[in-house]
Amino acid sequence: MRRLAVGLVALGLLLGLAAPAQAATTQDYAPVAIVHQEHLAIGPYELTIGFSEWPVRAQQSLDFTFEPTGGIDRFTGTLVVVSPAGEEANLRRPPGVDGLARHPRQPDVWGLDVFALDEPGDWTFTFGLDGPQGPATAAMTVPVLEQPGPPLGLSWLISTLPLFVIVGLLAAAVVRGGRQPVRTR
Amino acid sequence: MIDRPWVPAWILLLGSASTLVGLAWDLQWHSDVGPDTFYTLPHLFIYAGAAVSGLVSLAVVLAATGATRSGRAVDTAVGGRRVAVLGVFQAPVGYLVSGVGSALFLLYGLWDEWWHGLYGFDAVIASPPHVGLLTSVMLAMLGSVMTCAAAAGQRWAGPAVVASVAILLGFSMVVLVAIPDTSVLDERTVTVSLLSMAALACVASFTGGLRAVLAAAVALLVAQVVLALFSPWATRLYAASEGLPLRDYTNELPRMSLLMPATLLLGVAGLALAGRSRSSVLGGALGGAALAATFPWQALLLGAAGESPSAATIVAGAVLGAVGGLVGERLGGALRLLVPARMPEVV
Repeated sequence: MRRLAVGLVALGLLLGLAAPAQAATTQDYAPVAIVHQEHLAIGPYELTIGFSEWPVRAQQSLDFTFEPTGGIDRFTGTLVVVSPAGEEANLRRPPGVDGLARHPRQPDVWGLDVFALDEPGDWTFTFGLDGPQGPATAAMTVPVLEQPGPPLGLSWLISTLPLFVIVGLLAAAVVRGGRQPVRTR
Repeated sequence: MIDRPWVPAWILLLGSASTLVGLAWDLQWHSDVGPDTFYTLPHLFIYAGAAVSGLVSLAVVLAATGATRSGRAVDTAVGGRRVAVLGVFQAPVGYLVSGVGSALFLLYGLWDEWWHGLYGFDAVIASPPHVGLLTSVMLAMLGSVMTCAAAAGQRWAGPAVVASVAILLGFSMVVLVAIPDTSVLDERTVTVSLLSMAALACVASFTGGLRAVLAAAVALLVAQVVLALFSPWATRLYAASEGLPLRDYTNELPRMSLLMPATLLLGVAGLALAGRSRSSVLGGALGGAALAATFPWQALLLGAAGESPSAATIVAGAVLGAVGGLVGERLGGALRLLVPARMPEVV
């Protein structure tokens, strides 16, 4: 039995550690694949907005790319995203910063990587561009459909099972534990 | 393995520590760099930790079952009292809990893969499968606390209990990112008060003193500082090795460490102040209020988003700290039930 236990541990370590370790040394980050584009006139400029999924569905993460005609080197840009309920989305920037960030997997354009819009309805993307012909702003509406897959309530029910196990275990322990006064010396 | 209780207990602790380091690194990676696949080094730490925890739990359960069947005695220092599982296995309760947690982690890993197929890769920590994964790890870590506590009285058990509680409390703070902010109360801060005072009061109640409580608070402080230095550094290094730039506008603040309370020693002070009245409720209230009054400042002082604590938050911190103190005291009593013979000083 002892040998079996040691053997199981050794096999598990080999399978559990060696395979990911080998794979972790050869990364393959998926390139940004744009399947839909929209064009927005911002004053004298034009901005191309790319989506890696279309139509966009709530809670589904996708890549967004934002590329002004002439390239991002000639401009500074800002973006504010507002939900259908009127709340400003957190775009992974420090508070008070509106600047557009480069896309981590395609740094020659601005973008949002694996970013989800969490509720269905019309989202408002307000862009600002400052380039050779001065600053300008414009807004566009991004329609977002209902979330894919099972109802979110069901997903949460399935996913909170370990939490219920923990709460149940702790509740049983609290009941059985009785009062053990804290003693200090 | 079951002849030396410290061997599987420390392997289980090592698995927990690996998962904690992996989570801190992974949070930092998503915050500072971004691109993700399943096969990243932070994920390796997380999954290897869970694999080690699961396998050592399985090995102990099989060994204990085999020993029981062949009529040999199994020391209750190996994971505590045994319980029959499915009429076949004799599982020491601590390893049963850690094994179930690790097995659930595997199942929620599959659920997470399916989720990513449907929803795409996401950088959102609070997705349903992620909550399943994280709470499974917490269950396994709870099992680790139980296995260390069950060996109380043995020389190695004291440091192991301290380390296991510090790891569980530190890791549990990740739940803060799933708690929404509201304007009336700072829910994250009062959750820190609740969890911290429950953990500290549990150790105080279990050991019958404050020495191990102080050690647990210091251990978590050390872990917090080490992770604060390690995570941004390792993330930058790993990104450079992958040829990836850091995100524009990243501030490189240590994500995981910022979730842990650097003022946990004030919680210990709360218990010490209330010591004469022997009340974990009073100690929990004092510690909970002190934590609620100080926790938001660590993010503010480092320039992260946040607000200074309101009076309502401090009062709620005191109330939840008192609840934590009461619950922790009883949990410590339950841990004592794992120890076969009560000792004057178990740790």
